[in-house]
Amino acid sequence: MSDTPPILELRQITKRFGGLTALEDVNFDLHVGETHALVGENGAGKSTLMRILSGVYNEYDGDYILDGQHIRLASPRDALSRGIGMIHQELNVMPELSVAENIFLGRQPLTAMGSVDWRTMNRVAEEELRKLGFNINVRLPLEQYPLGIQQVTEVLRVILSGARILIMDEPTSALSPAEVERLIQLVNDLRSRHKRSIIYISHFLDEVMRVADRVTVLRDGRNVATVNATETSKTQLISLILGREMDAVLPSASESTAKRTLLSIKDLSGGAFENVNLDLDAGEIVGLYGLFGAGHFDLARALFGMFRFDSGTITIDGYSFPTNFTARDAIKKGLAYVSESRRKSLFMDEANYRNITLPHLGHIGGFWPSYAKEVAAARPVMEMVNVQPCKPDNPVGTLSGGNQQKVAIARWITYPPKVFVVSEPTRGMDVGAKNEVLSILVNFRNQGYGVLVVSSEPETVLAVSDRIVVMSRGKIVSELANTGDLQKEALMRLI
Amino acid sequence: MTQTDAVTSHLHEEKRSTVLKRSLRTLAPLWTLLALMLFFSLASESFLRPINLNNILVQISTLAILGAGMTFVLLTGQIDLSIASMVTLVGIINAHMFVNMGIPEPWPSLAAVGVATLLGLLSGLATTRFRIPSFMSTLAMSLIASGLATWISQGRTFFKISEVAAFLGSGRIGGPDGLRVLTVVAALCLLVSFLVLRYTRFGRYIYMTGANPSGARLAGVNTNLIFTAALAISGFCGGLAGLVNMGRLGSAQPQVIDSFMIDTIGAVVLGGTSLNGGRGGIIQTVIGLLIYGTLRNGLDNIQQLDPFMKEFITGVVLMGALIINLLFSGRSVRDRT
Repeated sequence: MSDTPPILELRQITKRFGGLTALEDVNFDLHVGETHALVGENGAGKSTLMRILSGVYNEYDGDYILDGQHIRLASPRDALSRGIGMIHQELNVMPELSVAENIFLGRQPLTAMGSVDWRTMNRVAEEELRKLGFNINVRLPLEQYPLGIQQVTEVLRVILSGARILIMDEPTSALSPAEVERLIQLVNDLRSRHKRSIIYISHFLDEVMRVADRVTVLRDGRNVATVNATETSKTQLISLILGREMDAVLPSASESTAKRTLLSIKDLSGGAFENVNLDLDAGEIVGLYGLFGAGHFDLARALFGMFRFDSGTITIDGYSFPTNFTARDAIKKGLAYVSESRRKSLFMDEANYRNITLPHLGHIGGFWPSYAKEVAAARPVMEMVNVQPCKPDNPVGTLSGGNQQKVAIARWITYPPKVFVVSEPTRGMDVGAKNEVLSILVNFRNQGYGVLVVSSEPETVLAVSDRIVVMSRGKIVSELANTGDLQKEALMRLI
Repeated sequence: MTQTDAVTSHLHEEKRSTVLKRSLRTLAPLWTLLALMLFFSLASESFLRPINLNNILVQISTLAILGAGMTFVLLTGQIDLSIASMVTLVGIINAHMFVNMGIPEPWPSLAAVGVATLLGLLSGLATTRFRIPSFMSTLAMSLIASGLATWISQGRTFFKISEVAAFLGSGRIGGPDGLRVLTVVAALCLLVSFLVLRYTRFGRYIYMTGANPSGARLAGVNTNLIFTAALAISGFCGGLAGLVNMGRLGSAQPQVIDSFMIDTIGAVVLGGTSLNGGRGGIIQTVIGLLIYGTLRNGLDNIQQLDPFMKEFITGVVLMGALIINLLFSGRSVRDRT
């Protein structure tokens, strides 16, 4: 593969933002029919490199060579016209339009009369999807299909607009395991059968090992290594990414002697879940695992008064909520809830301290919250969870994903609750940040709080839970002790 | 670990420069104001005279009272289209009670402002309970208020007004050359709003609710209460402005002065308060009001100007000022994420 000249090559790329160097002397190349993965921690420079590759940034030092010619892309549109297509993590689809319309977005075939040629459009869309192994009705609105199909639609759109090179940014972060399988197959298919070249950016190293021919590791804006996927291992990649060996294991379980049930859910039924029974003790972490759509995230919301339930009871430390309670009531009774969406729960433009004090502003500041009092409340909790940099005045949007998550957790310990409900605590984080966030949860457990970790990532649940409850289609299907020999595959088999 | 520290401290430096940029952006409306004042003081001899500057303050006082309430509403990300009708309704209720029913002050004034507050509250309840966008609920409320005014007054104008309204609208404090009461009322409204928004917990909830409603709910903020309160405050301000306006005109007319609504929203947004909620505040509103006042008054002071051109020029300058604000705020620049 390396004897032929690469289709795309970046040489000595340096990109600065003001005084900050985001990339320094980075080299990257891509051959025809190759999948080249790009991995690294958050902030390692992946996104910057991706934006240079896709034409978003055009001011940088170094050479961009496409088909042997030195070029400088003017815009993402220019990139696409030269055959470089980008598939973003957050899909660029129109949910209300049909599958076919999405595939032909902006370039619908026209009839002689100048109107949209629906027949041709639907036929071609159907054929192309079938070639990729998908048999679906292209006339239905895209929103009626699961995320995996929406992604395939986006991939197809980019390919049909002439992309030879596909840049895929975290394509699987929101997919279910089955959909991930299908996507991996699709990527492998595109590479070997359709001779596309793919740049694959992902945090999931298992996946990377399966799709990539080569893997380039970035750290702190520099090349660390480019290795053949067949000649490396996940452990080696992790140590390349981190620049150090991974922390062996998380702190072990505390032996709690006196059992005290903090959270008790009895026969809870609502729109997305049915007859749920679950107990959570003090000093215990329960992992609530399920695929997307299993109803576990909605159950978590229901605990916080943000998702309606029709029957059953929720009891916190002896107090049972009425059927119609609000988040405010839940907070008062000692519940803390960290949503799976940081964008929805945090105020990105507001200072860290304001994000942290909001849930307990009445306790912290009374009627007239003062800056001094608020910072005095926020700083210790930020230090406790190790937010880096620990600057209460900085907007939370300036932090990395892992540190934002720490802020989202820290806001609840200014006035300690009894029970933490944490949805998807480590989504989209690198290995180091994941371990840090999970050890915060373990610390809470050791201090005697009850922690409910709600997640669709088996690794997360397995890493911290004392007990794992598996949900599928709105029902609890299994409950098992996490003794340490439990495997990811075993968990996924239960669904 | 040291490498990550280095990266984060770099990131931190980058953020600091954006903080600086942000404070420069918020000053954009101030530059607009200074440029306008400079222009008019060169173009007209009379513009900078104290009496004229005082005139500007009087001219924008009613707008300022309305603007204080509107700032609350816009900060929560809602809008209030009913204020112009509130101004009219309050005048009619007051005059009807005082003139036709012979009820002595302060009851007519209290009742009138109370009704305006209540109607604001109802718009808020319609918005939060029934999920009607405030754009529609306050539009309907605007018709309800102006309809009530027409009904109560039977279409007639009241030329007799109560002493309270007269005092608020045309009285002076400290002799015939003293401060106009309406300017003082406006200043008080702005001051109280400023203090509430900047320093109270309620003020923080207003900002946070506007910036990210779901985030505020997740932090236990009763966002429905906040939305409703903002609209009720706007109703109250509409009521106060109604009394002042009636006193200034010396009559209560059933016709709605539509320009109040557009001018208020225009001034508040011009100052830099976002229509999307969460950004802006009373200081911005004050600057926006001054820009508005300067422009209106300044054009009056240029003798050579064709009076029929004024509105056109006002529109052009407003458009220009909005574009400048947007350019400085970096919003028109493509989002890089």
